[in-house]
Amino acid sequence: MEIVIIGNSVGAINASEAIREHDKTSDVTIVSDESYKAYSHPLLPNLIINDVRRSDERFYYRRGDIYSSLNINTILGRKALSLDIKNNLVNLDDDRKLHYNKLILACGGHPFVPPMKGVDIEGVHTMTTIKGADKIKKDLDNIKRCVVVGGGLIGTKIAEKLAHKGIKVTVVELMRRVLFPVLDDKGADYIHKELKDMGVDLVLGDSVTEIKGDSRVREVVLSSGKSIKTDAAIVAVGVRPNIDLTKGTDINTNRGIVVDEHMRTNIDNIYAVGDAAEAYDIVIEQKRPVPIIPIAAKQGRTAGLNVTGTEAEYKGGFPLNSITIGNTSFVSMGTVDSEDLEILSIQKDNEYRKFLIQDNILKGIILVNNIERSGMFSWMIENRFDVSWLKDTFLNSDFGWQYFNKAFRMLRLDRKIM
Amino acid sequence: MKVVKIHEDYCVYCHLCEAACITEHSESKDIIKAFKYEEKPIARCETVFNYPLSLSVMCRHCDDHPCVTACQNGSMHVDERGYVIVNEDTCVGCWMCIMSCPYGVIKRDTRREKWGLSTKCDLCPDREIPACVEACPNGALTFEEL
Repeated sequence: MEIVIIGNSVGAINASEAIREHDKTSDVTIVSDESYKAYSHPLLPNLIINDVRRSDERFYYRRGDIYSSLNINTILGRKALSLDIKNNLVNLDDDRKLHYNKLILACGGHPFVPPMKGVDIEGVHTMTTIKGADKIKKDLDNIKRCVVVGGGLIGTKIAEKLAHKGIKVTVVELMRRVLFPVLDDKGADYIHKELKDMGVDLVLGDSVTEIKGDSRVREVVLSSGKSIKTDAAIVAVGVRPNIDLTKGTDINTNRGIVVDEHMRTNIDNIYAVGDAAEAYDIVIEQKRPVPIIPIAAKQGRTAGLNVTGTEAEYKGGFPLNSITIGNTSFVSMGTVDSEDLEILSIQKDNEYRKFLIQDNILKGIILVNNIERSGMFSWMIENRFDVSWLKDTFLNSDFGWQYFNKAFRMLRLDRKIM
Repeated sequence: MKVVKIHEDYCVYCHLCEAACITEHSESKDIIKAFKYEEKPIARCETVFNYPLSLSVMCRHCDDHPCVTACQNGSMHVDERGYVIVNEDTCVGCWMCIMSCPYGVIKRDTRREKWGLSTKCDLCPDREIPACVEACPNGALTFEEL
């Protein structure tokens, strides 16, 4: 059998590993337009300021040469341009045609650049790949002041790293707080404080309409009419699924490539995983793309198993985020801001805990600073666990096994219930 | 595959499991030096208490290991014994494993200069019987197949 995987990151590697657990003989080929080993995307902001280097083991997703140890062919630095799903062919940009019996689309996402003038001026950057990060790194000597467009996970992290380098950073965020989808107002205030303490300026509830400059960026103009003098603009508004490959084919797409619980698209021998895919979200109970590593890994594995004929089901995922800005670490999951859900929350000392519950099913949490044991809550969300008898204890800082019912605790710890 | 089985009815909350774990993971593996003179490791097991209950909890080394799935750079991995361990040299302390661990048994070590370190039970690779099991005076921890 010939298996082609388009993409070479978390989804692709997990799919390859799952395939090789059950199938040592099929031809597996990874195609990617990037010519590197699979690497850790969350470390890109660190790469820019040389916190981590390309020669460091920790920058890569796997140790050693995983491709030869798994016996996977690679076609790196070549872009898959289109699909011919009638003849099961992938057309590459060097006119090669790759035949497949099974195809896994793990082609990731691309940075979304909102409509604004002047995005082609020298000094405007995006940052979701090594290429983008290298470009910023080369430009770093020219940057004394920088505007980060978007205060999301990537935006705040890059702001932190640049501020650490002594660059005067301004974050422009459209919503009224940074990290809008992953924190509520109270939670975001911790991050606002951290960023301000680092000397980062925050412009909230505003957006960039135009980037001005001749030979390079000189200033950005905001929709409020204000303008900010700057040497560079880093656009970090978010990522969108790469669905270009499916254009002109019968593959169903919405925002991402729509898949079922086996990660299969509407075409029988084509699967999609990771940032490119739109799979079931167990919290909002509908399909949507959720571009995070744990989901890409799980989906990649599910697709890999199904490709080899080993039945595997993806129960559904939900947003899971863990990030540290300055001295504040937080974890957030699922729905974090809602008027319609039962809310338990407490804020004391330096700690913030918030739980969102619907009919005794946990739908989301925010934990700031005390993130220990947060995975116990992700288990509850994932398994739609009835928390009616337990939720009274959620606000305790030391929440843990001591609060569970004895029989349940013993069964879980003995791994009789997974 | 053997793991540490927890018998909560026998636990007397003496914390000897934690002391043994700290000693085993210290530089000298000597209890006095580990507690008084060296940088004290974080115990991989944790005794929890809610009168009259107490028990020691540590990694269950589960088969689907969500911590490994969540790891951003392969630092959390399954070793040749089949146990889930952290590669200390490459862990960057993003805490995505903590956010994913259904047993809540991974701890944060923030004492390194640059990178945080996720700390968890490694089932004592240098020993036949894990230190916590050997130290438990009451048989509240045993090393067996689950």
